[in-house]
Amino acid sequence: MATTLKTQRNLKEEITLTPNGFLFDHVTGLTYTVNETGGLILKHLMEGGTAAEALKAMTGEYDISESMARKDLEEFIEQVRSFGVL
Amino acid sequence: MKKLNIAVTGLNATDNPAPGIPVIRSIRHDLNNIGKIIGLTYDAFDTGIYDGDLLDEVYLIPYPSEGEDALLKRIEYIHARTPIDILIPTLDSEITNVNRLMTELTSMGIKLFLPTEEQFRLRSKALLSEFCKKHGISCPRTMVINDPRLLNDALKAYGTPIVVKGTFYEAYIAYSFEEASISFQRLKAKWGLPIIVQEHLPGEEYDVACVGSGTGKLIGAVPMRKLRLTEKGKAWAGVTIKDTVLAKLSEKLIKALKWRGPCELEFLKEQKSGKYYLVEINPRFPSWIYLSAGAGVNLPATVVQLALGKKIKPLAPPQAGISFVRHATDLVCPMRYLESLTTLGELIYR
Repeated sequence: MATTLKTQRNLKEEITLTPNGFLFDHVTGLTYTVNETGGLILKHLMEGGTAAEALKAMTGEYDISESMARKDLEEFIEQVRSFGVL
Repeated sequence: MKKLNIAVTGLNATDNPAPGIPVIRSIRHDLNNIGKIIGLTYDAFDTGIYDGDLLDEVYLIPYPSEGEDALLKRIEYIHARTPIDILIPTLDSEITNVNRLMTELTSMGIKLFLPTEEQFRLRSKALLSEFCKKHGISCPRTMVINDPRLLNDALKAYGTPIVVKGTFYEAYIAYSFEEASISFQRLKAKWGLPIIVQEHLPGEEYDVACVGSGTGKLIGAVPMRKLRLTEKGKAWAGVTIKDTVLAKLSEKLIKALKWRGPCELEFLKEQKSGKYYLVEINPRFPSWIYLSAGAGVNLPATVVQLALGKKIKPLAPPQAGISFVRHATDLVCPMRYLESLTTLGELIYR
């Protein structure tokens, strides 16, 4: 899978993600809201999970094809990276 | 334990609030050996003086432009009524006069914890750029000018817009020579010369409230990102953050200045590069300082301890994610409060 979840940041220390999808970046002070799927991906990321594991969690949780899940995952990762969260 | 009478200035809390009321709230938040809180104020309509829950006594004092002798006379009068143990000036314009009275105030038994005149001078807006260059700290490119014709040079060198700043307070963003000239004249009339002209860097504002030991040690720091701004660019909401780059920069600055007492470091994080630029060093607490008490790093209470000569170990940084929201409210009071202040120049709550 092309999408990498690698980041220089210590997300467990530097980010707070609540069950309601509220994300607070401790370093920048910026806040975001993410939907349930975004929250699921970020949770994997914060625990040091791989893209393949996040993808597996998505297809396991939702009634969605692997190709669709992969597209969503790639788009989400690209977006949070552009915000500087990753 | 001896009860302390603490005098605090800067009590006007409008949409550009002075730090006095938040300083008092912070002190009351954590110190239990408070005798009287004495408010020192310039105008009978300075809003914070009507908060009788926070203040015990209020006295009008002469404006800084009247000089240190007038201030000393007034403090002597107040001190004879209620002995002041600690004085905390919270406005930039007061620091010089109070510093010049250091010997007299000390001999009266009034304790202070303030920057020296030299430290105060080094961080002035006119000298800040030079200071940054000397210590390898990034700051926006700056010109210090006395002649408005030189605004053209700044516009050519920095492009548009530019930031035109008064020597003590206020700043305007100007998109043309005409706009810059109007700002120049307005600031000159209000605060005098020189005028500071800076390049405008797009980015986010970050502030750090600090207390320095005077020996180069950073005793405590509370970094904050502004979440909401007023039209004047003042923080109306903010949140504590934890950024090691900002923490190291703050330590470096306090060490370079050997800063003594409270200050506010204002940074701009450039959007393009993510790099921090030092924009200003304010020689006093910021108006959002009550956040420090809420975040468990009570800087005003720490200054009280330092003024008393206590040795304080550097405080641990606050947890990230403690936020504040400013809230305007109405204070209702009898007309006799205003009458007392306008006729007697004082108001005794208890």
